[in-house]
Amino acid sequence: MSALLNKRLMRSLWRTKLRLLAVVFMVSVGVFAGITFGGYSHNLDNMYSTMHGDDEEGANLADLWIDNGSIMWTSEQVESFCSELNERWNLTSNLDHCEGRSIVKGAMFQSTDTGSVTINSLWHGIPVGANVDTVWMPDKHSKGRLASNSDEIVIDAHVTEALDLDLGDMILIGAGNSSAEFEIVGIGFHPLHILMAPEGTFFPPEEGDYVVGYLSDLGMERLTGNTVGSSNTIMLDVEGKPSYDLPDTEEYEGDEIDRVKQIVEDVLEVENLDARVRDRGQYEAVEVMRQDLEGAKRTTVPFTLMIAAIASITIILSLQRLVQSQAREIAVLRTLGVSRKSLLQGYMIAPVIIGGIGCLIGCLLGPYGANWMLDLYQDIVGVPIIKRDIPLTTYTTVVSLTMAVVFFSGAFPALKASRIDPLEVLSGQNEVKIGSNIIKKITSWLPTTLSLSVRSSVRKPIRLTMTFLAVGISLMLFGSIQMISAGFENTLVSSIEDDQNWDAQVYVNPGSEGAVVDWAEGNSCEWELVIEMPLGSVEDSSGVARIFTMVGLSDFSSKMRSVNLLSGDLPEKSDNELQVLMDEGAMKFLGWEIGETRLVTLNGEESEVKIVGITRGELSRTMYFDREDLTQITGVNATSVYIMMPDGVEVDFSLGEISVGIVERVTLLNGVESLIEKQTDLFQAIMYLGLLFTIAVMLNTMIMNVAERDFELATLRVLGASTTRLGIMLLFESVLIGIIGGLIGVLFAYLGAVGLAASFSSWQFYFPVLLVDSVAFELLFGVLIIAVAMTPIGIWRLRNMDLVEKVKDLSN
Amino acid sequence: MPMIEMEDIKRHYEMASGVVKALDGVDISIEKGERVLLLGPSGSGKTTLLNCLSGLDSPTSGQYTFNGIEVPRNHSERMTSFRRENIGYVFQFFNLLQDLTVLENILLIQELSGKKDEQRARDLLDLVGLSNEVDRFPGEISGGQQQRVAIARSIAKKPNLLLGDELTGNLDTLTSTKVMEALVKACEKEKITSVFVTHDESLVKYSTRVIRVDSGKIISDTVVENPE
Repeated sequence: MSALLNKRLMRSLWRTKLRLLAVVFMVSVGVFAGITFGGYSHNLDNMYSTMHGDDEEGANLADLWIDNGSIMWTSEQVESFCSELNERWNLTSNLDHCEGRSIVKGAMFQSTDTGSVTINSLWHGIPVGANVDTVWMPDKHSKGRLASNSDEIVIDAHVTEALDLDLGDMILIGAGNSSAEFEIVGIGFHPLHILMAPEGTFFPPEEGDYVVGYLSDLGMERLTGNTVGSSNTIMLDVEGKPSYDLPDTEEYEGDEIDRVKQIVEDVLEVENLDARVRDRGQYEAVEVMRQDLEGAKRTTVPFTLMIAAIASITIILSLQRLVQSQAREIAVLRTLGVSRKSLLQGYMIAPVIIGGIGCLIGCLLGPYGANWMLDLYQDIVGVPIIKRDIPLTTYTTVVSLTMAVVFFSGAFPALKASRIDPLEVLSGQNEVKIGSNIIKKITSWLPTTLSLSVRSSVRKPIRLTMTFLAVGISLMLFGSIQMISAGFENTLVSSIEDDQNWDAQVYVNPGSEGAVVDWAEGNSCEWELVIEMPLGSVEDSSGVARIFTMVGLSDFSSKMRSVNLLSGDLPEKSDNELQVLMDEGAMKFLGWEIGETRLVTLNGEESEVKIVGITRGELSRTMYFDREDLTQITGVNATSVYIMMPDGVEVDFSLGEISVGIVERVTLLNGVESLIEKQTDLFQAIMYLGLLFTIAVMLNTMIMNVAERDFELATLRVLGASTTRLGIMLLFESVLIGIIGGLIGVLFAYLGAVGLAASFSSWQFYFPVLLVDSVAFELLFGVLIIAVAMTPIGIWRLRNMDLVEKVKDLSN
Repeated sequence: MPMIEMEDIKRHYEMASGVVKALDGVDISIEKGERVLLLGPSGSGKTTLLNCLSGLDSPTSGQYTFNGIEVPRNHSERMTSFRRENIGYVFQFFNLLQDLTVLENILLIQELSGKKDEQRARDLLDLVGLSNEVDRFPGEISGGQQQRVAIARSIAKKPNLLLGDELTGNLDTLTSTKVMEALVKACEKEKITSVFVTHDESLVKYSTRVIRVDSGKIISDTVVENPE
């Protein structure tokens, strides 16, 4: 009996192939997305652990960096420091390594068809046999070997393609006033240079506009003339991985590294060395990438949940419809004496089979999705993700959750249908529904045809709500990222593009700005001195010291770099108080208000500042000062010079030689845009998945609506309603659903953007969310177009309706 | 000239088991103002004949003219236009739109045929005895009342021909009487020709002519003396 019943059910379900396929498709997509994001998130963890590893395969990232950019310690000083440190070491974890390293800013000179190009660069002098912060050369993803001779260099893999460099090529590089030719013997990676941006900026210039190379200590001696062993950076490697404070968390995790730091500070004092001490959380290039990785991982959770929610809603709606359409057959079988239990068995098995097929497809495709996402992230970061695997738990979790949704959404309506009085179903009484007087009043002013459209649309309010919810979540996927990108681009790019008019920012050592100013005046350029130092700190509400950049400007509105004042006033010079501007991200994190006077630490000294205004457009936390005020605090006149060049004047070799780095505005803009584009690329897959879902959800609802309205459409057709008239009715209905769905979509997208921005934002990065009109309209019209595009399906169905058959149905 | 002229109408269906001759050479001529009852057992072909008359179905062969003009066939839109301009239809299960009120159900049909006239709609509801139910939804009134609304709806656009398929098949005797009386009253007032399919012999008294169908052929065609 059961076998026959099940066979009947399978045949009956097979008659609704389109609906059946829609359910299988949504199950597959849900499982696919779950495995893709689960696998992606799991494998991202492997990415840096492999690279940072203290083993033969890893580059052994240091735990602490002690550096001073303006002096070079002798090898004896470094040895003495390390020796004293070892003597004073009283921690349970051993100090594995204490190594000196010379890292210098410089330039690479490349000949092109149009002449010589000076590329901003950074050179490491890494002794053969170094143990900490070595060059990472993973098998199959790097080339050649490490530099050992004085004329050899390893070039960072991030730039070789853009600069067309390969093993055996000779390159001319410089540092300060000296230059030398080196042969490329290797192409590899370095844990400090995953973010290929000069220190002080988060924005990597375009590929090839910033070069990092790894010489041997002999090579560094040849380039700079400094003797082997001279160092401006000392790296410490402590046994295990001492915990350090993660700046993006509320808690303070830095107790272990603080104990190391305390010993280091004592030794620095004893050795009479002046240096900056940074752990991994304070080393921007490392921290930025950690946060980027965490952000990438973090987003997988809401995205997976959103996709799961959409898939679940669609599965529930479709399966319910599928099973409800069986109500008549169930009633007939019940009338014939088939027990509820026998009937339900089939309806319990059917969702399991449908879900099983969908899960199988999703599981087969999931690994491809995960690898594709990992490839995308790998391309963005430029570092290979070598170890890849998807744990069995990911499969089992995703499949069991999906199957639970499928099972309950299939079994519940069957249970409901089996409980209906067969007579009620067979007489059609279960479908008699009294219209709503409220809706009647609201729509009574409309022509009856349009009024019918509205009333038919809201006939199933739960389904309509679920559809709007699914559309909203789909657009949350699609629109929130667009909104963040647009808001980000709107504030950040426009602040550089529209509010600033410098051509090049020339970095100088303290006191060396005169030569750059002379160069500028000699070339009839306008110039402006700027102080920019990440030496401000403030305690947040949890008592954690947060670092911010102090920026000193001579003029806030009329010079080359102006600020985007969001509210308040520009600072004025006053003998009584130090007036400053603070960026909106910092103000939000700290909960500060305009007009408040706050205690901050500036260059090591506590000082009270009065907040007079809030600025927008800074990715990192920034406090703006009048430059003269900041000079008094720091003793530094300028850290860089902005130059505006007349036509015909360009950055040249001589400017490169007198500076410690040059950033051109065009390059910076291209870098920012390229970064946004790359980040958007990663999410584009998700965005389009959202769009696909929106289409699928709308299509599903429209088909269900039209299918359910066969009764009324057939009646109207029999009574003489033309296809055009009925088409207009369906179009009106689509437009209505499209507009409401679009508005809900915009709202969801905005809320999603706010949520994502809050999840991405940390002290280091602040993402403003703006409701950009163009994005909002794009979303609204997108949904509208999708909804309207579904109308032809309804019309096609109308045209192909067999009225004789329908009349038979209407008469039965 | 007769309003309806059918000559040697055949409607054959190709089935797996062979050709089914639902209509096999039917000749009918119906004058304006007649109330024709098509009687016959199940499977006799009376519904197929009604479908052909209404332009829902296309005969396989034969001539069918309506007011002297050939009725379109095998063309969905032209057949729909024919129905819109000439035919009113009453279903067995009323088929009122549940989301519209009684009055709106009538207005909708007027609107679709481009002849919206609310006063006429109200008058028709008065004619079928439902002037107090205009603002109710179909689900709020009885089956007999719903069928009377369906009758008012079918004549709202002033059709030339009113068709009905077992229109009292779902009603009890008393309600059937009320419905048929309303129908006769409406047809007479509106001067509408009508053709109804039924197997209920008791309805003969409401017609002016009875055509009996069996095996796809007309087996008798009689005029009713003193119809009600």
